[in-house]
Amino acid sequence: MVDQLPNRGLETEMLEEMGFSSIDDLFSDLPEHVRMSEPLPLPPPQSEEEIIADARRLLGANLAMGEAVSFLGAGIYRNYVPASVFQLITRGEFLTSYTPYQPEVSQGMLQAMWEFQTLISELVGLPIANLSLYDGSTAAAEALTCAVRVHTRKASQSNTVYISELVPPDRMSVMHNYCQGAGITLKVLKHNADGTLDIDSVHSAAGSCGVYVEQPNPLGILDGGLTQIKEIIGKNTALIVGVQPVSLGLVEAPGNYGADIIVGEGQPFGSPPTGGGPIYGIFACSKPYLRLMPGRIVGRSIDVDGKEAYCLTLSTREQHIRRHRATSNICTNETLIALMGAMHMSLLGPEGLEHLAYRNMTACVLAKQKLSEINEISVPHISSAHFNEFVIELPRSAADCLKYLDSVGIIGGFDLNRWYDDRTNWLLVSVTDQTKAAEIDLLAAQLAEWCSMKEVVA
Amino acid sequence: MVFDEGGGCLSRLFDFAGGTGMGYSQPEPLLSKDKVALPSNLMRKALPRWPRLSEPEMVRHYTWLSRRNFGIDTGFYPLGSCTMKHNPRVNEVIAQLPGIADIHPHQPEHHLQGLLSIYHEMQHMLAICSGMDDVTLQPVAGAQGEFTAVRCVQEYFRKRGETQRTKVIVPDSAHGTNPASAAMAGYDIVEIPSLENGRIDLEALKAVVDDTVALMMITNPNTLGLFETDVPEASEIVHAAGGQMYYDGANFNAILGRTSPGLMGFDAVHFNLHKTFSQPHGGGGPGSGPIGVKSHLAEFLPSPVVKKRPIVGDEAKFAVDDMWYTWYEPEHTIGKVQQWHGNAGAIIRCWAYYRRYGYGLKDMSEHAVLNANYLRHALHREAKKADVSHMFVDGAEAEVAKHEFTISLQPAKEAVGVSAMDVAKGLLDLGYMAPTVYFPLVVPECMMFEPTETESRDTLDTFAKDFAQVLKVDAQTLHEAPITTPVRRVDEVYAARNLCLKHPFDEE
Repeated sequence: MVDQLPNRGLETEMLEEMGFSSIDDLFSDLPEHVRMSEPLPLPPPQSEEEIIADARRLLGANLAMGEAVSFLGAGIYRNYVPASVFQLITRGEFLTSYTPYQPEVSQGMLQAMWEFQTLISELVGLPIANLSLYDGSTAAAEALTCAVRVHTRKASQSNTVYISELVPPDRMSVMHNYCQGAGITLKVLKHNADGTLDIDSVHSAAGSCGVYVEQPNPLGILDGGLTQIKEIIGKNTALIVGVQPVSLGLVEAPGNYGADIIVGEGQPFGSPPTGGGPIYGIFACSKPYLRLMPGRIVGRSIDVDGKEAYCLTLSTREQHIRRHRATSNICTNETLIALMGAMHMSLLGPEGLEHLAYRNMTACVLAKQKLSEINEISVPHISSAHFNEFVIELPRSAADCLKYLDSVGIIGGFDLNRWYDDRTNWLLVSVTDQTKAAEIDLLAAQLAEWCSMKEVVA
Repeated sequence: MVFDEGGGCLSRLFDFAGGTGMGYSQPEPLLSKDKVALPSNLMRKALPRWPRLSEPEMVRHYTWLSRRNFGIDTGFYPLGSCTMKHNPRVNEVIAQLPGIADIHPHQPEHHLQGLLSIYHEMQHMLAICSGMDDVTLQPVAGAQGEFTAVRCVQEYFRKRGETQRTKVIVPDSAHGTNPASAAMAGYDIVEIPSLENGRIDLEALKAVVDDTVALMMITNPNTLGLFETDVPEASEIVHAAGGQMYYDGANFNAILGRTSPGLMGFDAVHFNLHKTFSQPHGGGGPGSGPIGVKSHLAEFLPSPVVKKRPIVGDEAKFAVDDMWYTWYEPEHTIGKVQQWHGNAGAIIRCWAYYRRYGYGLKDMSEHAVLNANYLRHALHREAKKADVSHMFVDGAEAEVAKHEFTISLQPAKEAVGVSAMDVAKGLLDLGYMAPTVYFPLVVPECMMFEPTETESRDTLDTFAKDFAQVLKVDAQTLHEAPITTPVRRVDEVYAARNLCLKHPFDEE
């Protein structure tokens, strides 16, 4: 028996009052030949108790990373979200509200999102941020189309953007889907053997609409060379930088080295990994991009009494007004998750952010040091600084290594062969603020053990 | 709201600039900080000007903010087109279990059999309810679902060599996302006018359909809450010219178990899981926008989708039943529209919601339609009693509405100068969320109501009485409304002309 229908048992009375005799009368406008003649072939309704029991059984069959030892990252990172964030987010006034179309009764969420915009703006070093896109990949894709809208008229390479060749294929695929409709050509920027961007190849991007690079890059490398890009490409080509936001507690804000648009996966602030969603995409930009950027923006205003008040603004960019000329089709975004991010950032404060970044970086330094001590393993980019992750080169296939580590309760990292066809022996090892020294020791010991073995029989 | 003014020092986040003590303490780094070496040009020179709050201050600030916000939990939320139904709390508890909160999308299949089985169950359920053959859960919002389906159709035609199909048809009453999504994929938009009664104009459709049309996008019930009885004919017209039919599932809550997009002749459909299956909307998101397609489009879906097969070998020790759930890459896949596996956490909540109904999803839709028709009836009834029935008319003539309906306040506007917006603001003063105003554009001074199935008859009756009382209020007073809300009418023009998109710090 379904328990969420307060008018069950009142149907007849309500129908009679309207002059109908049955529920069927309310569907009399459905042409005969489109009516469903049989009941839905689905199981019976369940009670709350049965549902939660099934959920515990099914979700309990998943291996939560906390139940193992995990070195898996590659874009989504283990983190700690403070308890107060989870408690506050259950406030029904936040949780069960819709997009703030009636600002007079939505001041709480509007102000919180205006504060979120400020927190992000300060973090990345650009004056404008929207209140979230779906995830880092869609934020990056929307950044590309935004850059083309702004620059293509003056560009010698019109409708063209350049992208770091290291960008993972999944992220690249999202970019392709978003860009192909606008006829945008995606060209590739080369990387050096040490994993840094080939700065000479950036010269080829001058005159295009945009350059997309990541800091740290997909191999975890913090690349000092990226600070030179803006000077090479000039003001008529957008520098778009994808960031891991926690890194910005230590690493220079890209806005301070010429980035025009900054995007990233907001997840490490406020959201557990959650299988990759719902998380939220960060999108920040400088003033020339404001009127052609995607997504919702909150502005501070006044009410009729002159009292400070907040509302959505610059809506004429958006689909509900501009329809097919909108800057994006986005409507529903990830506001609630962005709110969790804002709460987390507020609790951290500037010094807490720096401390969190140190925890991530020192874990990476320690792991790199321990793993590089294993004879059969090399760290190809050992001279670079890393954030969250780095590559180790194995004597045999990374897939085989992961299988062995899994058998001893370790989620060993990410097999880079899934991204790069020619890298069968590269493993991307991720550590975060949640990684413990003993876990790194355990990984080192098990990797050494695997190296000393013959091929593991499948 | 008398307590509201107590905000004071709680109200401004960036005024919190206490000591360097953090809002929550953290463990020490694994190595001393001097072990960190960064290229000198990458050292951050100045930390962001974030506030410094203790936990008690942070909790009070956000609690204060929450009290200045209105949700379904606060009161009746008849926002048309948005399906603001109750969000069962057990779903929130389930979504925090480590088996969903603490899993990584790149974990191998044998770590995620529970998740994959739930995905498979949801794909199956949505296919059954929609009359489609295959479903992907990857799109994370309705608009993204639209875009995904348009992309699948686009690749389908490319593969068939029908590259002359460059147009997408949308009715003028369509949600703005429809034309925006199709334009993002590179299509030219052809908008066809609705008939006087708000319904699709088959003659106008015939006039624009030819072999350059790829797709027609339409929602049924339409944005006026009316069932488009001519949709099967529209499908025939478009199909005869070789085009495809797309169903915008924003209004799916009206028809579950009664009819389906498949029965109406559609080839592709998106679902707003957050509407129909109650993922809390959280002030604007997250959502979840799966799509379903007929078999000829199935191999174009984004990758991966979940399939099942019999268990092999030692898989049994990880399995949740007698099948193995596995990621599958469709042969001609368009690739990815979101980097991971969609909004898994939202999908889990919607799964829990679906389990609560099972085959009773039909009851859900029937009660949604019952409540909408009852509210429409009650509005007229109470208006008559209060002698204000001359102030509004139905937005469209129809014996029955579906899950939502519109009225036009044009008579009130002409008679006493009261607009739909004035009435909306008057309702805020009585503790209600206002219905959707000025959409769809085809109804002058439009107000659109969607009560959903989770509102009681008492709530609907009381609201109808209060609505009539608002119409009795004199125009001058209504122009001034709202007066009891945290702020009064917000100056949106001022906001756009004096852009202040972040805290100004010392520049202020």
